[in-house]
Amino acid sequence: MGGGVGDGVVGNEFADVAVRVDTTANSPRLRLEDLRTGRVRFLDALELETLVWLPEGHLVQLLDPSADRWSGA
Amino acid sequence: MTHADTRARYDELVQPERVHGSLYTSPEVFADELARIWYSTWVYVGHVSEVAKPNDYVRKAIGPQDVIMSRSADGEVHLLLNRCAHRGNLVCEAAAGNSSSFRCAYHGWTYRNSGELVGYPFHQGYGGRGKLDLGLGRVPRVAVHQGFVFGSFAPDGPSLAEHLGDAAGEIDRLVRLSPEGEIELTAGWLQHRARANWKLLAENETDGYHPQFVHASIFSVAESGIGALYGEKSSAVTRAFGHGHSENDLRPEFRRLGAPLGWFGTTEERMPGYVAAMRAAHGEAAQEILVEGAPHVMIFPNLFIAEIQMFTIQPLAHDVTVQHVTAVQLKGAPEMNRRMLQQCVGSVGPAGLLLADDTEMYERNQVGLGELRPEWVDVRRGSHREHVDERGHTVGGATDETAMRGFWAHYRELMTR
Repeated sequence: MGGGVGDGVVGNEFADVAVRVDTTANSPRLRLEDLRTGRVRFLDALELETLVWLPEGHLVQLLDPSADRWSGA
Repeated sequence: MTHADTRARYDELVQPERVHGSLYTSPEVFADELARIWYSTWVYVGHVSEVAKPNDYVRKAIGPQDVIMSRSADGEVHLLLNRCAHRGNLVCEAAAGNSSSFRCAYHGWTYRNSGELVGYPFHQGYGGRGKLDLGLGRVPRVAVHQGFVFGSFAPDGPSLAEHLGDAAGEIDRLVRLSPEGEIELTAGWLQHRARANWKLLAENETDGYHPQFVHASIFSVAESGIGALYGEKSSAVTRAFGHGHSENDLRPEFRRLGAPLGWFGTTEERMPGYVAAMRAAHGEAAQEILVEGAPHVMIFPNLFIAEIQMFTIQPLAHDVTVQHVTAVQLKGAPEMNRRMLQQCVGSVGPAGLLLADDTEMYERNQVGLGELRPEWVDVRRGSHREHVDERGHTVGGATDETAMRGFWAHYRELMTR
């Protein structure tokens, strides 16, 4: 899967995420699917705008593997 | 005027067989009704199918109150007031959408879709982040029956089950017409504004005396047998359930005819997929369900289920009411749904005949009720031939004003409390 070139997939050697606009709810959402685990997350417009404005430092904090995904809790 | 004074006044204005015309025309009465009925009792707000996905929301109303019905990510349905806790601006402008949060357009205050304040820009002005304990207003009590979401501004009082009483069984009757046991209100809503008092609409919904006159033209054009259901020789009945709820129970006529889907003006042969799905889902009970059909029930104060379509009554002033209409959709019944949608548009759509007929009557009534004499409105029809059924509900003939008397008895109770 590495490299993930193709419509609607953002991929590289570390992760592959399918991206599409979902229209089944009351307004469009971004549907993100981690193709390696099948986990799905929806992001609405306000959440996406927030991501756009996220400072680099905050994003790096989220990338810490122990922050949320493998917290060990 | 003190509360005791107005209590005595309503005691006088609502009598067993007549009500005073000023109840429909007075702005002061309307203000009292908002406080004692709309902001006190259970009011129907929306259906869970309208917020099917996590973070879906729709704008609804309880009378003039602008209510956001939202579903948070954990699946819970919330009824929030559409008012920023800062300066009162609307936090939500669209009729529907999907968002985990609402952001006020005025100063950027942001709330979760469950009502909690997330934050506010330039927080130093409030002494720092997280210093304010302000959230969106909420309807204090929310309860759901068969996907129908009701709200009550009264923090205490009867439960929804107590409020609905046996009228809940009529909602159950509608839902069991779905092979999957669920209805969906996903067909979209029409809104009709009438220059009339809300009670004229509520009273009319189960008034079996008017159809043969007001709807004569559509019955004639459509060669419909519905008119005959509302006649002196009909075995149908009008039933007052208590708490202001009522129904036109047409089942005696449909049972007499004994034809599955006769209530819907069609036959088993024309709906083979639906009938097969119903028989698979319900077994032998399907025959009775298909013969008896859907309810025709008015749930006090604002929910009217008229077999294939659903109305909500929204009062905005003593003489302005909006009627919201949608076609009922039965989950797992595409054949029926297509037809229900077509019939709904034909009868109560923008060019529909039934609702136009009724609205003309509401507005004529409102004008007439403004006349000074005679002062009273008569609701005595059939009171001499009522009886009480085995469940303790008052039952009258198909054309009798039993439902209106039930409505007014409950109204009086609420207004004199």
